[in-house]
Amino acid sequence: MNVSEWALILFTILGQMSVGAFLILGVVHFFAARKAGTEEADRLTDRALYAILPVMVLAFLASFLHLGHIANAPKAVTNLATSWLSREILFGVVFAVVAFLFAFLQWRKIGSFVVRSIVAVVAGLIGIGLVFSMSSVYMMETQPAWNTFFTPLQFSVTTLLLGALALGAAFVANYAYIKSKMPDCAEVQCELLRGIMRWIAIGSIVLLGVEFIAIPMYLALLASKGGEAADSASLMLNNFGVVFGFRLFLAFLGAGVFGLFISQSALNPGKEKLLSYFAYSAFVLVLAAEILGRFLFYATRVQIGV
Amino acid sequence: MAKQMAFYFDARACTACKACQAACMDRANLAEEARWRRIVQYGGGSWVPVGNLMVPNHVFNYALSISCMHCENPICVTVCPSTALYKRAEDGIVLVDPNKCIGCRYCEWACPYGAPQFDQVTGVMSKCDFCQDLLASGQNPACVDACVMRCLDYGDLSELRAKYGDFNEIAPLPKSDLTGPSFVVTPHKNAEVSGFETGKIINLPEEV
Repeated sequence: MNVSEWALILFTILGQMSVGAFLILGVVHFFAARKAGTEEADRLTDRALYAILPVMVLAFLASFLHLGHIANAPKAVTNLATSWLSREILFGVVFAVVAFLFAFLQWRKIGSFVVRSIVAVVAGLIGIGLVFSMSSVYMMETQPAWNTFFTPLQFSVTTLLLGALALGAAFVANYAYIKSKMPDCAEVQCELLRGIMRWIAIGSIVLLGVEFIAIPMYLALLASKGGEAADSASLMLNNFGVVFGFRLFLAFLGAGVFGLFISQSALNPGKEKLLSYFAYSAFVLVLAAEILGRFLFYATRVQIGV
Repeated sequence: MAKQMAFYFDARACTACKACQAACMDRANLAEEARWRRIVQYGGGSWVPVGNLMVPNHVFNYALSISCMHCENPICVTVCPSTALYKRAEDGIVLVDPNKCIGCRYCEWACPYGAPQFDQVTGVMSKCDFCQDLLASGQNPACVDACVMRCLDYGDLSELRAKYGDFNEIAPLPKSDLTGPSFVVTPHKNAEVSGFETGKIINLPEEV
């Protein structure tokens, strides 16, 4: 494990978090607009939207640290015909550009709602393409630990889980801001916030369940395959057993325990302060859990051959 | 069939002296970490107590001299995002263009032979180029000439196969259908077949 692999951990985690946040933001906006109108929905989601692009840019900056020869970086998209890595970079760049375009249109309220929605849907689909190509990059025959169902599943769970909890943290911060600057609309916002946070909490608990079912299935699959795959399972459970256990613990605490706290404190008005502490804690804990998980993803690979 | 340059290796005779590796590093002026050719030592078996004696139970050890296999389906070329890796049409040699390489090391993860090597100085990948300059002037690759035990040979793959047979699935190499290595090996008497390994690579990690 060296600097260049930490660059990849940051790139994949932050990239997936951006896509997840963007996708879930779209869903949140759709339901918030139906409940309280477009203006209130915009007020709820716009500031969170502006935060997504810097995260994606940060992801790209991290990815540059991985390169040995940065001057040649633009050539990384020249083998779209066969290289998933080329496709990943292209999807990433196009996602960032279209998401930026949407954020700009939304900021200046340029174009009709329908036009902006179309741009947002296009950006979302490209984002899904980015996560798909990210998983395909690792699904090589020479890396048995990566070449399983678990890579796309884990990447999707990370995308949605981190996306949801990052949004949760952004929403409570946004609410605190609105309450201090525009007290007259805080009541509607408070109502929306509590509804959304409850769904974010429920979603996180479900995703945690998916993760906790998939991980043992994955390890059992590796062990049953034997050879290098079994070596990876052994690395995970023996050499990195403590990190692995800690990663599961953090995920359980963040998404499970704090998820429950969020959903309970969101039930009744007047507990927004508490709700915000829970939302920040859940995000930080799950971010740490997913970073450790991605560290293990790279640390436990065992390549076939010599 | 087009010409395909290939290496032959006689695993019966190799003493793992690493003269091939040293000659290669010398000729290509490689840094210590970048090894285009490496000696992989593979061994297994155990010792069992019988009375007061320890008796060997299928204890074996043999060495392979491994470089780029200049594969028929080079996985490194497939995955390379910048088309820096390419397979030369006229002789099937797989080469890396340092002006295109971005140094992402993705080919390192893909290649089951450890052929692409990261050059710390230039920040790009380098690999066995089959001593193409020596070949062009009618000489042998440096590794072939350096081998004390005359284990190494080279030539067109179909000619090597006619001369030495077509076996190439020797442990710890992967099964050949993965990339189609341009390689022929005469197995050691204790050789294991790819996919049925009981032994393991016994080099120190920094040696391979």
